[in-house]
Amino acid sequence: MNKWEYAESIESSSIVNIEKKYGIFIDGKFQNANSKKFIKTISPSTEEVLSSVSLGNEIDINSAVESAKEGLKIWSKLSGTERAKYLFKLARLIQERSREFAVLETLDGGKPIKESRDFDLPQVAANFFYFAGWADKLDLSWNAKGLKPYGIVGQIIPWNFPLLMLSWKVAPALATGNVVILKPAESTPLTAILFAELCQEVGLPPGVFNLVTGDGSTGAALVKHPDISKIAFTGSTGVGKYIQKETADRDIGLTLELGGKAANIVFNDAAIDQAVEGVVNGIFFNQGHVCCAGSRLVLQEDIHDEFVTKLEKRMQSLRVGNPLDKNTDIGAINSKDQLDKITSLVNEGVEEGGTIFQTDCELPQNGFWFKPTLFTNAQPSYRISREEIFGPVLTTLTFRTPEEAIEISNNTEYGLSAGIWTEKGSKILWTADRLQAGVIWANTFNKFDPSSPFGGYKESGFGREGGRHGLLSYLKVQS
Amino acid sequence: MSLTKEAQNILNWSDTVELIDNLRVDEVGLKERVASLATRSIKKDSKLQALNYIISMCDLTTLEGEDTEGKIGQMTAKAIRPDPSNDEVPSVAAVCVYPALVSKAKKMTQNSNVKVASVSSYFPSGQAPLESKILDTQFAIDEGADEIDIVINRKAFFEGDYRKMYDEIVALKEVCKSVHLKTILEVGELRTYENIKKASLISLAAGSDFIKTSTGKISNGSSREACYLMAKAVWDYKTVTGFKAGIKVAGGIRDSKDAIRYLVIVNEELGSEWLNPDYFRFGASSLVDDVLKQIKKLKTNAYQSSYYFPRG
Amino acid sequence: MNEIKKTYKNYVGGKYVRSESGKTFRIELKNEFYEVPLTSRKDIRDAVVAAKKGHTDWQKLSPYNKTQVLYRLSEMLEGNFETYQQLLQDAGLTKAKAKEDIHKAVDSIIWYAGMADKWEQMTGNLNPVAGDFFNISHQESLGVVFTLNSNTQSLNSLLLNMLPALTVGCSVISFNEENSVLALKLAEDINNSDLPGGALNIMSGKFELLIEDISNHVEITAMAIYKEIHNDEKTMIKENASKSLKRIFINPPTMGLEALFPFIETKTVWHPKGR
Repeated sequence: MNKWEYAESIESSSIVNIEKKYGIFIDGKFQNANSKKFIKTISPSTEEVLSSVSLGNEIDINSAVESAKEGLKIWSKLSGTERAKYLFKLARLIQERSREFAVLETLDGGKPIKESRDFDLPQVAANFFYFAGWADKLDLSWNAKGLKPYGIVGQIIPWNFPLLMLSWKVAPALATGNVVILKPAESTPLTAILFAELCQEVGLPPGVFNLVTGDGSTGAALVKHPDISKIAFTGSTGVGKYIQKETADRDIGLTLELGGKAANIVFNDAAIDQAVEGVVNGIFFNQGHVCCAGSRLVLQEDIHDEFVTKLEKRMQSLRVGNPLDKNTDIGAINSKDQLDKITSLVNEGVEEGGTIFQTDCELPQNGFWFKPTLFTNAQPSYRISREEIFGPVLTTLTFRTPEEAIEISNNTEYGLSAGIWTEKGSKILWTADRLQAGVIWANTFNKFDPSSPFGGYKESGFGREGGRHGLLSYLKVQS
Repeated sequence: MSLTKEAQNILNWSDTVELIDNLRVDEVGLKERVASLATRSIKKDSKLQALNYIISMCDLTTLEGEDTEGKIGQMTAKAIRPDPSNDEVPSVAAVCVYPALVSKAKKMTQNSNVKVASVSSYFPSGQAPLESKILDTQFAIDEGADEIDIVINRKAFFEGDYRKMYDEIVALKEVCKSVHLKTILEVGELRTYENIKKASLISLAAGSDFIKTSTGKISNGSSREACYLMAKAVWDYKTVTGFKAGIKVAGGIRDSKDAIRYLVIVNEELGSEWLNPDYFRFGASSLVDDVLKQIKKLKTNAYQSSYYFPRG
Repeated sequence: MNEIKKTYKNYVGGKYVRSESGKTFRIELKNEFYEVPLTSRKDIRDAVVAAKKGHTDWQKLSPYNKTQVLYRLSEMLEGNFETYQQLLQDAGLTKAKAKEDIHKAVDSIIWYAGMADKWEQMTGNLNPVAGDFFNISHQESLGVVFTLNSNTQSLNSLLLNMLPALTVGCSVISFNEENSVLALKLAEDINNSDLPGGALNIMSGKFELLIEDISNHVEITAMAIYKEIHNDEKTMIKENASKSLKRIFINPPTMGLEALFPFIETKTVWHPKGR
């Protein structure tokens, strides 16, 4: 019996042009950092070195702040319409250079080109378009008096959706009249650097957007700087708590978008085949490197076997491999560190008593890879049921009654997102009312739109990004 | 639910009722999955393999009021040898004609592996009593048809008389005996995904060997969403009864790119076991020409014109 | 020297069409003559057919798409800056005023472009009803809107007579009199902006000849009168409108959230919440 194997269909990387070294971007241009240290950024699918970027230090952060102050002087005098035009132009350029950005994102971060091309980049452009259109009509956004921009905003973003997180942060901040100092993740600085080039191209006034690359120490320096009026952070709950503590002595605006351990609840009256798709998408999209990933399958017991059989069959068709291959579904794990974390938790899951299923696939020799994994016969007390794994690993828990489904789902310090699968409308609304999560997806998952507010309850953070409500993250109420 | 298989692959009515109770399909989710399958990039060897599959799975079709024996002569010759300039191109699976042309088609294909399929049961509308449909079908079989393509009784379906719809197919399968039976759902009329899934399962339970999307006679023909749904029905039916049914897509599949997308759905949802003429067919006429052009392009690296390939 | 310029055509259903009557009328701008269509009632009938299809096609585009289309219109306008500047100067504006007008026009389009994917967040809301019910009010576009544009020779003013209804998803039949040359020139940029055919139709003529037919046409859902008209004309329009409950707006605002109010219909949906 002849199997039909798909031939490689590799997206060419000749479209990107990566320099050997990059400095920081302040005063509207790239320049050498004060720090003489550099960090290498590698491609996690091949481990080849892509470039070296500056490891910004305190003095670099200080320069960035001075640059931002100058930028603010210009930016605050411009009308909303003028700000809107800059953002529209950026949106257009991003659209035009989408392919280039997508390839760069895939190289630097390891996610499949299919995702960076079809999801990340369109969303990035959409975010800039959406927030551009708020810049000249902020007076209509809220019927509240005295909302004003913070001024200088420090933003720290993660490695899982580098450019997308940049757009979620930078677009609303600039639209509302703030200026930005951005610190991208250590392992994924390259698309932020290319974005800085676009800022030059549209003639964004110097100092409005500033970029300082580096590691945790760079972020810490940013957080400590006394002239920053607002910090927006997306990353792990641990670091989020650190930032909240570090800024305790100041009157500073703070929004945190942290980790999650979302429950994807499947009731027995769900559209099963679509629920399987939703569960698969919920945990295997972007290799599970998603804060709102549906990492707990909370499944009604009476459909357990039928559902798990379908789920395992569906998982088997996931293609793991070269992220630049257009047919790849699951790319590389972002770093050796992350791979080690995932491996350790999964091993622990087996030891604790969970039944493990992993798909039958060949993993490449070089790079960081993990097979799509499903745990069944897991208990709510296992570490794999409670801790954020941040990888392609799904843990199954069962429930019998709707009340139990709620209890299990809320039994976590996290509260970012949740999924509800049932064809009964009233049950969706009843359940949504009771779930402690900031984003609830009913009969769908991982849906994002610039107009739709995103953010968590409890230790998944506070503040919202996106939509009318997201503007409040960047507008301070004057007392 | 534990079900036992009865005669051949027929499920009794009460088990069928259980199968079609509470069918739930989410339209948006389904469309997304089908759209995502369409992003597969099929190149080089895998493309050539797919193109050859498509030819070998085609039912070259002519179902026109103006069909004559002369027309059948042309089409069957093309069916047997689609590209005279390239021996590697396989024959198609079958030709599909009206009952009156079956004996001519049979005569023209007797020295080949190309089967003769005939439509019947008052194709395309099915708006006639069961007796007429049985006569229609018996005639085609007597003339030598290897395969029969019937239409479901949509009148009964939309009136909620699923039992009647089921009984008709059972009766027609009885006429067919070992002749391969394909049951056309006419998905363009059924419209909703629940309807398509329900009609699929009833047709399978009633003894169909294949379920088929469309007659090709209305403007809404096949769709990849319908194919995906039917694949799900075939899989579920196999899980319950062990019987492996086939799928035929027809109506509106004009080019290779689209046809390859259908193959991707079958490949990833059902598996490579379904990628042969015994389990998957394309009902087509102009599709074959486009595939031949694509095959030639892969070999010569030049875009082709249709005048290089014979008329059928 | 008096030259007769090219004949401008109406822009209906995404195509340029002459009046079926074959008639035109002359507009004189600073020594230049322009012949523009004298729209007949049959032209209006055809425009409504086109506008109905245009409404279906335009309404179903996502809000994001609508933003993109309108933004593209601003790009087209910027590209034809000098053409508009010349037309406005011919119409009697000084060079400085002409430039200012076009800049304002571009800014207006940008404002409305960025409104297309936001206005629903400003007008819709959840209603806190008593009982275990989810209750939401959201807005839809009215349908086919006829606008009678003011005679001001201003690109900005012209656009502000078209954009509010268009932004919320209505299709528009934009009727122009003395500023028809500007309007029909604008039609060329509309055509290049990916707006579906029939979403925005631009016509020229004399309103007094058509006032009965337009106000009686049942498939025109609303009329927005931006031009100053006589009281008895207003009365006639409103009386005819009452036969089919056509919505009539006399001098509605052209900027701000209020500009959208005439063109939207609120739909409220209830759903129980229970296991």
